[in-house]
Amino acid sequence: MNHSLDDYIPVVGDPVIRQLRTLGEKLKGLQVLHVNSTAEGGGVSEILTWMVPLMRDLGLDAVWRVIMGTTPFFNTTKAIHNGLQGRDASISKKDWDHYVEVNAQNYAEMKNILESAELVVIHDPQPAPLIDLCTGRKGKWIWRAHIDISRPVRSVWKSLRPCVEKYDASIFSMGPFAQLLPHPQFVIAPSIDPLSDKNIDLEETELEKVRNLFGLDKSRPLLVQISRFDRFKDPVGVIQAYRLVKKVLSVQLVLAGGGATDDPEGKEILDEVKEAAGDDPDIHVLLLPPNSHRTINALQRLADIIIQKSTREGFGLTVTEGLWKGKPVIGGDVGGIQLQIYNHYTGYLINTPEGAAHRIRFLLHHRDRMISMGKTAREFVRENFLLTRHLREYLTLFSWMLRAEGKHTIMI
Amino acid sequence: MNAFEVKDCALLTRMSGIQPAFNLRELRDRIALCHPDVLYHHFCETVLVPSFDYPDYRNDFAVWARWRLGDQILSERLGMIDPYLYPSMEELRGAALEIIDERLSEVTMVPWARPGHEFYFMQAVTIVFDTGERINHPDELSNVVSRMTNGSIYFHVLEARRRCPVGVDDFTGWLKGYDGNWDHYIKAVKAIDVTFHTLSEIRQELVEAFAGKRIRRPKERRT
Repeated sequence: MNHSLDDYIPVVGDPVIRQLRTLGEKLKGLQVLHVNSTAEGGGVSEILTWMVPLMRDLGLDAVWRVIMGTTPFFNTTKAIHNGLQGRDASISKKDWDHYVEVNAQNYAEMKNILESAELVVIHDPQPAPLIDLCTGRKGKWIWRAHIDISRPVRSVWKSLRPCVEKYDASIFSMGPFAQLLPHPQFVIAPSIDPLSDKNIDLEETELEKVRNLFGLDKSRPLLVQISRFDRFKDPVGVIQAYRLVKKVLSVQLVLAGGGATDDPEGKEILDEVKEAAGDDPDIHVLLLPPNSHRTINALQRLADIIIQKSTREGFGLTVTEGLWKGKPVIGGDVGGIQLQIYNHYTGYLINTPEGAAHRIRFLLHHRDRMISMGKTAREFVRENFLLTRHLREYLTLFSWMLRAEGKHTIMI
Repeated sequence: MNAFEVKDCALLTRMSGIQPAFNLRELRDRIALCHPDVLYHHFCETVLVPSFDYPDYRNDFAVWARWRLGDQILSERLGMIDPYLYPSMEELRGAALEIIDERLSEVTMVPWARPGHEFYFMQAVTIVFDTGERINHPDELSNVVSRMTNGSIYFHVLEARRRCPVGVDDFTGWLKGYDGNWDHYIKAVKAIDVTFHTLSEIRQELVEAFAGKRIRRPKERRT
């Protein structure tokens, strides 16, 4: 469901929306084209689903186009995606040629709008070669990398880099995710939508329904980790932490995630998790279907403490979601989790199951701290990681790109 | 008297192109050579960056020294640097380098950060724009300031100190030129320790100052 910008006033306050409208007024009528490779599923399409309507609400002429591709094309782009993130990737010359060829077919379909748009934002590597094909482009082109490309497989980056270098600017989610490039590189962190099913306030009756559905005991503390069954999320480490706590406190654990069945590694991890959980009735391993957003929302709200014990992480939006629900979060000291968890203020950064267990016990014995940390956590997200900040940064970037390349400050 | 024009600003962080620092010596060498915009960003603009507003330390170097180098002595010293007390970025740079050099002379091993905890040198671009709102009389200040964004507070209170006249916030500058005696407001604003407050806290302090809660007004406040 698309919301209007005014729907967010009760969440972020009138000044924030007024600021966006003032910025939008300065960019009224600006032709902005977003291009990515999927209309639904995945973080990028989730962002564009709210961002494009909100940009239009602000008066920008924002348009979103999705490139079409063949199965071999998407196999290649998946390999490029993996290679940029440092995983083994085997891409032949034929694959690279097909990658450019499919982009050329898409270019033919979108030629007019690609040439005329004043700002073109190309999301991720799939449509990146469009810049090489669009020789008659009039606007500024920005490459938005949603992934961590700090340690790519050299051959993959070597092949893609000449194309990326042609952009007028690039955007990364965090400074450490970037590569040094010969154009301005901006940092725009991801965000959450407070009015989405995953984050909207829920009625007590809905929470109780979910509690009963999974047989959770209201009288005992609940620990929750939401994430796909992936070794880097360390679900087995979470169970180890839980067992250390369980020696002295009667707690329950929910490990919930989705999408494991069609992923051979995911299935393997899920089996490991189930084996580690054994027949402990207080460990609930939940394989949730796609679009279980409200269920996940409810589980996070039912939790006393949210855990994200990753050993490697991108930005970690599940941490943001947990903080937004006013919960202290205990998370791995890696990636974007470090930008969100501050010891004693919004949660605790940990490195081991022992560290997690120690902090869980501390918090469960200091309920007042949990409440104050939860309040700080929610306000921290309200100020920094909601979509309104995300939108403001895009508008700031557009203003700067159009008017003042090279200057630190401009008046508009 | 001209009305007070309420401005707002939005900031976007960008990479500085400087290699990250893995230890205190690298931090020192990069601070010595970096562009003034980089220093300004880590000392002053950091309050506008989407990040946790660490109440313990008010600049990024102090936070890094504390949590990534584990050097509490250094973080305490760096944390007390008030960037607005220095008339230029070069003098601010000199002050930071003096503290780091002193610390390097004290330690037997150069403090270092583990991989993943490097210091990334950033800078920013800022867009300043007119909100269209005007304050026609000082007694309107409290009400209007209460509705200001963090960007407006930053622009009129902190960023203003770097514009001419240097060291003066926009409210004080305007009140000084306004007919009548507004010293009570000016003194109340001056009493706010802006470096050690978050932007939200500064807004609240200003609202209270302009509502007359923090000071006693003179008997005759208008001539």
